[in-house]
Amino acid sequence: MPGAGALAFAATLALGAGAFCAESVAGESVERLEQRLRERAIPDIPLRLADGRTAAISTLGQQRPLLVTLFYTRCSGVCTPFLLWVRDALNEAGGLGTDYDVLALSFDDADSVRDLQAQAAALGLANEPGWTLAVAERDAVARIAGALDFWYRADPATGQFDHSALLVAVDQGRVVRALLDSTTGNRRLREMTWELRGRFIPFYRTADGGALRCFAFDARSGEVSFDWGMLLLAAPALAALALVAVLFGVTSRHRAA
Amino acid sequence: MRAVHKNTLYWMAVTFILFPVLILVGLFMRAVQADQLGGAQAWFYPMMTLHGVGMVGVWFVAAMACASDILERYCDPSAAVGRFALAGTVLGVLLLLACVFLGRFAAGWYFLYPLPLKGEWPAWSAVTFLLSITVLGATWLVWCLDLLRAIAKKYSLSRALAWHYLAGRGEPELPPSVLIITVSLIAAVAALLAGVIVLVLFYVELLSGATSDTLLMKNLTFFFGHTLVNLAMYLGVAALYEALPEYAGRPWKTNRIVAISWNAVLLIVLFAYFHHLYMDFVQPGAFQYIGQVASYFSAIPAAVVTIFGALLLVYHARMRWNIASLLFFIGLAGWAIGGVGAVIDSTISVNVALHNTLWVPAHFHTYMVAGLAFLVIGYFYHRCQEVARVPENAGAQAFTTALLVIGAYGFFAMFYLAGAYAVPRRFALYPLELNHGAGYSLAALVFASLFLAGFLLYLVSIWTRWFKAMGARA
Ligand code: HEM
Ligand SMILES: [Cu+2]
Repeated sequence: MPGAGALAFAATLALGAGAFCAESVAGESVERLEQRLRERAIPDIPLRLADGRTAAISTLGQQRPLLVTLFYTRCSGVCTPFLLWVRDALNEAGGLGTDYDVLALSFDDADSVRDLQAQAAALGLANEPGWTLAVAERDAVARIAGALDFWYRADPATGQFDHSALLVAVDQGRVVRALLDSTTGNRRLREMTWELRGRFIPFYRTADGGALRCFAFDARSGEVSFDWGMLLLAAPALAALALVAVLFGVTSRHRAA
Repeated sequence: MRAVHKNTLYWMAVTFILFPVLILVGLFMRAVQADQLGGAQAWFYPMMTLHGVGMVGVWFVAAMACASDILERYCDPSAAVGRFALAGTVLGVLLLLACVFLGRFAAGWYFLYPLPLKGEWPAWSAVTFLLSITVLGATWLVWCLDLLRAIAKKYSLSRALAWHYLAGRGEPELPPSVLIITVSLIAAVAALLAGVIVLVLFYVELLSGATSDTLLMKNLTFFFGHTLVNLAMYLGVAALYEALPEYAGRPWKTNRIVAISWNAVLLIVLFAYFHHLYMDFVQPGAFQYIGQVASYFSAIPAAVVTIFGALLLVYHARMRWNIASLLFFIGLAGWAIGGVGAVIDSTISVNVALHNTLWVPAHFHTYMVAGLAFLVIGYFYHRCQEVARVPENAGAQAFTTALLVIGAYGFFAMFYLAGAYAVPRRFALYPLELNHGAGYSLAALVFASLFLAGFLLYLVSIWTRWFKAMGARA
């Protein structure tokens, strides 16, 4: 997957209020929810761009893979910090505008072209190559949100949206990788961009695996150490030797002289 | 003349029935890969699983049957346990057939965690597969322990491992086949115990949902799978040590070098499986180097010593050539040739290029088919003929052997070539970039059919001898 043109990535991203995060995660791990999105097809909806043009998602992803985030401009919650995080993390990771592009899609159809421009300016993204801010019709947003299990709900009391946070990467119209409800995943976002650029991402899960892991990982110190599972690897050999020794020992008593 | 035990004759029958069926499954896979069976590719992976587990199982039990037959000459393995092993194996095979044909279970022969639990197949078929492996593993563990018990009844552990030869004493004499069988059985017990742990962890997850560590599972799975296949090969070599002297008319004895090489096998064979984890970046680096060194040293000394021994045995001897002695000789060559392919692939810097290409099936088919299977069917023929003493038709036997050899090596060559040209293993249909893979598959289909024809001719020639041996059994 080295040719950037061969890939189309979409990453949709939204971040929920803490209360919502807890709710969305209940029962199923974030990781599993993310995994479930892989290979999902992205509906090719029409967009209104911040510069006033209209375009379909597929044309945005034609040149290069695409990262897509979902937000809305009036958000007093996580949207702005999240977009800032994405901006900074991508600057750090490199490759934006040459290896992939970003689409920040508003899911609030009340957002106007002018709102988008104001948001882009506030984030310092107005003239950034690789960034596109857009808004779409309510139905179209509903379709893309449905395809990605993206959850949002207007709260009449506050006039705000409750919503989750999601970033998906799409290969030729399909999701390759997703980041859900993550505000601290710099490394994972960097990996996402690596994957966009065709690099191998080593991955070993230490969070699970019960008591019998090969390695333990201390997130605070970043240190990796051997765990009980490694010891278990010696068990079959030691048990076999013991068994054979006992077998020969016991049988020898009955051995013909 | 030593009669052939009924159990051994049954094991032969099991092999003679299952091997051609599993070859047909292999032909099916090659036909799909050659794009000759449009629409059938949905069956590729269930059949690949059946073929892999089936072949590994058949040749393990066939080699164990040889070992048991050899031991009967020197000690007293239990006939009841032998029957139990037969029954357990048949039950395991039935479960395997059910899960692949009814449940389309398709996780491959080493059912790498967590694939069995994540596939498209129904959960019951994964459970049936795990039960099949459990039944087979438990049965074989009991069988191995009984053979070890029989050895222990006659020899002390140090005698059976020829340590007195290491100390420079040649008395009392120990047949080299008993040494090799003892070494192999001890390692087999370790492998089967590793299998038990893997299965328990699978069952724990099925029952409680507690997931396992993938790295641990992969290590244990290859400890189990690699080691068992490796030992089946050694048991075939034991049959060679036992029977070849009868054709050369000279004894093949244990000596210090033989004792050293097989004790070295015992010491390091359990570490060779690390070469299956070269691509696992989390595996500690030291294990990777141990894997490469252990791969070399668990294979090379024993092979070199055996080949030298065999050549010395035959050199200037008045060899009696028939299909058995021909197969012994060619089987030894197949072990060496496949072994070279394996050692190449177990070299880390080369594995980077060859990993999971058709080079891998190329080398293991070489020593499994042209090595182990040749040695075992040679030994089976040898034992039946020894009892039946039917006059032999040298021309027909040479023709049969030639068909087997040409079919086998033509078929391997297509795997080697495809592997060298970067065709990956385990692809049902080759995409456009790998179109050359389909051409090799078609050629392999032809060669493998020749091999099958050769094997059917072999069956024709052993048929009457097997019945006579059945009639003459004690
Ligand atoms: C002589 C006839 C045989 C034929 C035509 C045959 C054919 C094949 C084919 C086409 C494959 C799939 C290769 C791929 O990955 O694309 C395969 C895999 C395999 N074969 Fe054979 N084979 C034969 C004999 C044997 C024997 C005697 C063994 C004994 C151990 C064996 C063990 C295996 C195993 C373990 C696999 C790997 C299955 C997996 O990847 O899960 N085969 N064989
Ligand atoms: Cu928000």
